[in-house]
Amino acid sequence: MPYTLMSDAGPVLVLDKVNLTFKTDYYRSGSFRDSFTRLVKDPLSVLSTPRDRLHVTRNVSLSAKIGERIGIMGLNGSGKTTLCRCIAGMYLPTTGSVERRGIMRAIFDTSIGIHAELTGRENARLLAEFMYPEVEDKHSLVEDALTFSGLGRFVDVPYRNYSNGMQARLCLSIISACPCDLLILDEVFDGADSHFREKVTARILNVIRGSGVVLFVSHSPEQVRLVCNRVLVLDKGEKAFDGPVEEGIAFYERLATTQE
Amino acid sequence: MTSRRVFVAQVRATTAANLKSRYRQTIAGFLWVVFNPLVMYGVQSLVFKHFLRLGVPNYGLFLLSGLLPWIFISQTLEMCTSLLVVSGKLIKSFPVNPLVYLVAQVADNTINFLAAFTIVLIPVWSHSPGSAIGLLVLPLPLLVLTAAVFGLAWLLATLQVFFRDTRYIVSFALSIAFFITPVFYPVDMVPEKYGWITIINPLRWLLEPFRCSLYAFEPAAFIRSLAIAAAIAAIFIGLAAFFWRASRNAVYLNV
Repeated sequence: MPYTLMSDAGPVLVLDKVNLTFKTDYYRSGSFRDSFTRLVKDPLSVLSTPRDRLHVTRNVSLSAKIGERIGIMGLNGSGKTTLCRCIAGMYLPTTGSVERRGIMRAIFDTSIGIHAELTGRENARLLAEFMYPEVEDKHSLVEDALTFSGLGRFVDVPYRNYSNGMQARLCLSIISACPCDLLILDEVFDGADSHFREKVTARILNVIRGSGVVLFVSHSPEQVRLVCNRVLVLDKGEKAFDGPVEEGIAFYERLATTQE
Repeated sequence: MTSRRVFVAQVRATTAANLKSRYRQTIAGFLWVVFNPLVMYGVQSLVFKHFLRLGVPNYGLFLLSGLLPWIFISQTLEMCTSLLVVSGKLIKSFPVNPLVYLVAQVADNTINFLAAFTIVLIPVWSHSPGSAIGLLVLPLPLLVLTAAVFGLAWLLATLQVFFRDTRYIVSFALSIAFFITPVFYPVDMVPEKYGWITIINPLRWLLEPFRCSLYAFEPAAFIRSLAIAAAIAAIFIGLAAFFWRASRNAVYLNV
C-alpha cells in the first residue's frame, strides 16, 4: 500500500551539490620529550591545537521521487551517515542545498532510550512524541508497538534494566509503526536477536514499501537487495556510483576489495 | 502540525518525563524538591538573622526573595551545562531539535522552583506580609528570570560541548558568586569601594526585580530593575543564539 500523503509525482528529495566540511582537532602526544622537541622546532605550536578541515561530503547531488528506495553504501568514513544526517536537517550543508517535502523520519541508532529511570512503556511514549508528531492517536500507536515488541511485562520495567536486545526490540517496534514520505534508516537491522529480527524485518519492510522515498544505509548487500531498487555508493564523501542495485553492489564490492 | 507546535508538544512531553523520572527511585520523592530550599532557607535565616545579626527588617521575606531564586539559578545552570554532552547519543540518534531537551530541563526546574517557593512563601508571608501589588506583579520577574537562566544555560551548554572545563568553572564560579551577589545581605551593605563588584554582576540584577516586588515594592524601582533584568536576559539569549547558529554543525559532531 503506497503512502498517499503526497499526491503529486514531483521529487520528495533534491540535493544540489551538497558539501559539508568540519574543523577537526588532532590530539598530540603528551610526552615530555615530544613536547620539548616541538617547542624547540616551533615555539608557537605549543599554544594551539593543530586543526584541519575535514571534507565529509563533496558536491553530492541527488533527486529522489516517490517509490525510490535508495541503498546508500560505502566504506567506513565515506560519509554515509553524515550525508543522511544532513538530509534529516541535523547538519546544515556548508555549501549547496537540501530540499525535502512531506513528512520525514530518520533513525540512526536502534538502542536509544530517553530516560533510563522511566519504564519501557514511558520511553516508548516519549519516543513516539519525537518520531510521530503528526500522528493524532499516539496511544494506539504505542500500545500496538509494545504488543508487537513481545516484551510482555518487561514494558513496565525501568529502561536501565533492559539488555541491548530488549532496547532494540522496543526501539525497532516504535520506528516501524508508520510509513512516511521520506524515511531514513541507518543500519536498522542490527542489534535485535535472530528470532525477533525475522519478525521485525517483515514489519520494517512493510513500512519501507508503504513510504514515499527510503534512504537505507547498509554494508550488507543482502539487505540492500531485499529493500532497495536503486544504489548510491559514496567514496571519500563523493558520489561514486548511482544506479541499479546489482551494479551498485558490484561497484561497492570492487571498491572494498581495492581498499583492502 | 507547525514546527512551533511540534516543539511545544515535545517540550511538554519531555518536561513531564523529567519530572517523573527525577525522583522515581527516591523514597521521599517530591519532598526533595522543597527539602533542599527549605533547609537552606531555615539555616541561613537562623545564621544571618540571629548569629550574625545583619539587622535587616523583615529578614525572612528579604532572604526568601533572594535565596530561592538563587537556588533556582544555580541548580539550573549546574544541571544544564552538561546536558547537550550527556544527551549526545540521543541528539545524534534522530532529528529532534536539541533545544527541546534544554527548554524541558529549564521548565522542569522552574516548576520545582515554583513549588518550593510557594511552600516557603505562604508561612513567611502570613507572618510578615509585604506589598499585595508586589505579589501580584511577581510573575513578571519570574518570567524574566526564567528567560535569562535559559539563555545562560543555553550558552554554557554549547560552550561545554567544545570546552569540557566549562562545568567545573560554572560550579566554582557559582560557589564564589553566592557570596559576592547580594543574596543574603542587602546591596547597600557593600562598601562603596567594592560597589563595582555588584554593578558588573549580572546575577545581582536578575535577583533585583524579585526583591523589589516581594520585599520592598516601589513601582519606579521595580520597573527599572525589571528593565535591566530583561536587557540581561535578551543579551544572554542573543549571545547563545548567535553562538549556536555559528557552531551548530560542530555541536552535532562533538556531543
